[in-house]
Amino acid sequence: MDYVIRSLVSNQITDIVMVVGYRKERIMSYFGDGDDFGAKITYVNQDKQLGNGHALIQARDHLDGDFLVLPGDSLMDARSVADLLSIGAGHGALVIESEMPAKYGVAVLDRNRISGVVDKSGEGASNVVLTGAYKLPASFLGVLERCVEGGDYNITHALNLSISQMKLEPIFGQGLWIDAVYPWDLLEVNHAALLNLTAQTAGKIEPDVLIHGEVSIGKGTTIRSGTTLYGPISIGSGCDIGPNVSIFSSTSIGDNVTIDPFTVVRNSLIMSDCSIGSHSLLSQSVLGYGVKVRSHLMASSADAYVNLEEEFYKVPNIGTLVGEDCAMGSGISIEPGTILGPKSKIMSGSRVTRNVPTGAIHS
Amino acid sequence: MCGIVGYTGNREAQEIILDCLKRLEYRGYDSAGLAMVSPGSLQLKKSMGEIAVLESNLGHMPGTTGIAHTRWATHGKPTTENAHPFLDCKGEYAVVHNGILTNYMGLKEELLKKGHEFTSETDSEIFAHLIEDAPGKDLKSKVLSVLKLVDGAYAIAVVEKGKNEIVAARNESPLVVGVGHDENFVASDVTALLKYTNEVIYLMDKEAVRITPDSIETFDLEGRAVKRDSQRVSWNLEDAERSGYPHFMLKEIFEQPRAIHESLLGRLESREEDSFFKSKFPSIKIIGCGTSYHAGLVGKYILEELSRIPTTTQISSEYRYSPVTESKPLVVCITQSGETADTLAAAKEARRRGCKTLAITNVLGSAITREADHVIYTRAGPEIGVAATKTFVTQLIALYLLGLELGTMSNTLSSERRRELIADMRSLPRVVQSVLNEASKIESLAENYKGAHSMFFIGRHINYPTSLEGALKTKEISYIHGEGYPAGELKHGPLALLSKDTPVIAICVRDHTYEKMLGNVREVSARDSPVLAIGSEGDQDLMKYAEEVFLVPRVDPLFSPVPIIVALQLLAYYLAMKKGCPIDKPRNIAKTVTVE
Repeated sequence: MDYVIRSLVSNQITDIVMVVGYRKERIMSYFGDGDDFGAKITYVNQDKQLGNGHALIQARDHLDGDFLVLPGDSLMDARSVADLLSIGAGHGALVIESEMPAKYGVAVLDRNRISGVVDKSGEGASNVVLTGAYKLPASFLGVLERCVEGGDYNITHALNLSISQMKLEPIFGQGLWIDAVYPWDLLEVNHAALLNLTAQTAGKIEPDVLIHGEVSIGKGTTIRSGTTLYGPISIGSGCDIGPNVSIFSSTSIGDNVTIDPFTVVRNSLIMSDCSIGSHSLLSQSVLGYGVKVRSHLMASSADAYVNLEEEFYKVPNIGTLVGEDCAMGSGISIEPGTILGPKSKIMSGSRVTRNVPTGAIHS
Repeated sequence: MCGIVGYTGNREAQEIILDCLKRLEYRGYDSAGLAMVSPGSLQLKKSMGEIAVLESNLGHMPGTTGIAHTRWATHGKPTTENAHPFLDCKGEYAVVHNGILTNYMGLKEELLKKGHEFTSETDSEIFAHLIEDAPGKDLKSKVLSVLKLVDGAYAIAVVEKGKNEIVAARNESPLVVGVGHDENFVASDVTALLKYTNEVIYLMDKEAVRITPDSIETFDLEGRAVKRDSQRVSWNLEDAERSGYPHFMLKEIFEQPRAIHESLLGRLESREEDSFFKSKFPSIKIIGCGTSYHAGLVGKYILEELSRIPTTTQISSEYRYSPVTESKPLVVCITQSGETADTLAAAKEARRRGCKTLAITNVLGSAITREADHVIYTRAGPEIGVAATKTFVTQLIALYLLGLELGTMSNTLSSERRRELIADMRSLPRVVQSVLNEASKIESLAENYKGAHSMFFIGRHINYPTSLEGALKTKEISYIHGEGYPAGELKHGPLALLSKDTPVIAICVRDHTYEKMLGNVREVSARDSPVLAIGSEGDQDLMKYAEEVFLVPRVDPLFSPVPIIVALQLLAYYLAMKKGCPIDKPRNIAKTVTVE
């Protein structure tokens, strides 16, 4: 979301309304009034998460004239926002050609306009996928409001109703757009976000640390002797890493993370407040906030079938996906493609070959 | 507490002054007023109640120089007459004052004899009349001669008819100068000015300043120029806005993981190798008021456990009455604002007695930092809600850091134990976040207790002071009488007060007090009191004893006050919200108490 806001600001779009709901406090505390981002952010609360149309209606009082709608959970670069703005006074929807599942539906095209919006599951549907990003006129809100009042909480129905009155152009984005539909998409999002990283060092780097490529290190972070960092790597503030840790690209590490000696991390995403004990391997993996690993964790990666809500997805080169506040003992080995639920506990010496549900204890 | 704002520049002053004044609202006040140097006369408006009321009464007051004030009554009732600013008899000077003058009675009698007419019951009004009679050719020399006559605490700002200048001075009450472009400011604190400038000059005690749109002169009370460099304040306005939260208090509760993280930054890996800690301290005395006092009570357990140095905690205003002891304790002064009058006075007294002093404060450059030999800053950012939340938690962090330092210096802490403690401290931001993630559960629990007139908070050992702080939060904002008690003391009295209408909040974490706490819970349940037990994650047994249970993540018992107080802050907040109380501005209390 940080990335989306920055993309907007670099296109001089600074008046931003955020519709927030579930765990809104985390978002509000992060962005504040937008000052740090060069934007003015107003928050609007959506009490129940009914649908994206319902969410948009909550912001109605703050919208006049044309406005942009962007989903907060996808990664969109400044170029994509510029594409959306390129239609000038017209209106449109940002689309891409893709075979991937479409959260926001696919567009039915009639020459250079969108003549309808349908679910991907429909027969003969196109591969022009909606990204959920639009440029719309204020008049659309009236239509949307009637739909929402009628219990139709998604934006799709209102779009189909308005298409006869307003010309909605398909805008084939040239920029970067990644939608985090599945947890493993986060690795791709992270990789893409790190491409623009510029090296910055605010922390303390002890002697004999090797740094290759772009590495950014936050304030109050200590990188101890013998550690090797192959960028792009982003490390937050207040971390303690090493001695003798190896971290490879493209890895992002949040704030207040400790990584003990002889641990190897490759292309992974480690969120704030995690601690990883010594002699561990973490490859192509995601650790949520506050994950604790005692030592000797083996989380290697391979092509694997990942079980997500009883459906299997074939994912290339994937490691372990760990939910927030999971606590692991020492000497644990995890089969590639395994998901460990939030607040789960993995006892020392375990070999984990299947997903562990939320809060469960695996021994 | 009272707040002062002054502006002189090239723009119309009314809107700017009111805007700054509103940012002082959080200090607590009961009336407000504004004086403007308008063409031909000094204009004056005051009113009871909120600044919004004053604003609606103002109309347009032309002028580019003015002073304003929010008053929190000490001498004289909260009435329009007693609101500042005050004019002299001829209407040539207007004065705002924050503080208490100790010799005003005598001065007032003399002025009355000379035929001056007073319009208020305040001590402050004498300033206007004294200036009227004072010798001197300009405002600066008149104000200086008046300041030689008065005793006590003051921050004042004065304007004169027809002059684009403000003369201000301070002694034991806060005052800062804001440096702008072709305009300058004075105010009681930086928060008021952030929208216009982040460059400020801190005045010292017994110093004065004369500002015009394009000059700032600082001088002592003899009129000799003193050089004071301006400092850049790193807080920005955004920090002082609510950012989507309904109340500052809730915003600040949710900022605690960040505040703890900031307070720990760079302080865990490397030690503070400061010569200050090389001295051996025979004992430690912690002083503070209100919430800071409660942090000090927790601090006693922390410092004794980690450093084995005997520690006592005392309320600031009582310190001066304690006898001078032969051994000289380290005196730790805790004050959020760094301006708390009682704590400042105690710090001065401690120095006079030859003790080393250490301050724990949240405000860079505040008065206490000039008094103390060593300072540990809490990095909580500005706290606007009157009920202290994130500053309490970061004060605890500062005490843990102090404990680690003293423990290491006095060799009472093994390196292995130190390593464990540091790992635990690092987990605190996340631990607090986990409690915050359960806020909705506390919100629904609050529903059960909102009808109560009285509640008890009980705990043992380090969580006894936690229970006191939980009770204080409840009193302050939800207006429910809350009483914190050591659980073992219930049977020596307060049990008599318990009934089905007095809920009891029992802190039952899994430490060496756990079994005894269960006994106390049974004891109060037998009197039909509904019990909410705050316990450690994974505790299955607690539900058998208490009606309601709220579990917080498990940490070393030494750190348990941190997650628990966050839960109790949320409980107090939701109780107040459900009762419709004015959470950020509770009645009769002020944020920064600059009077004794």
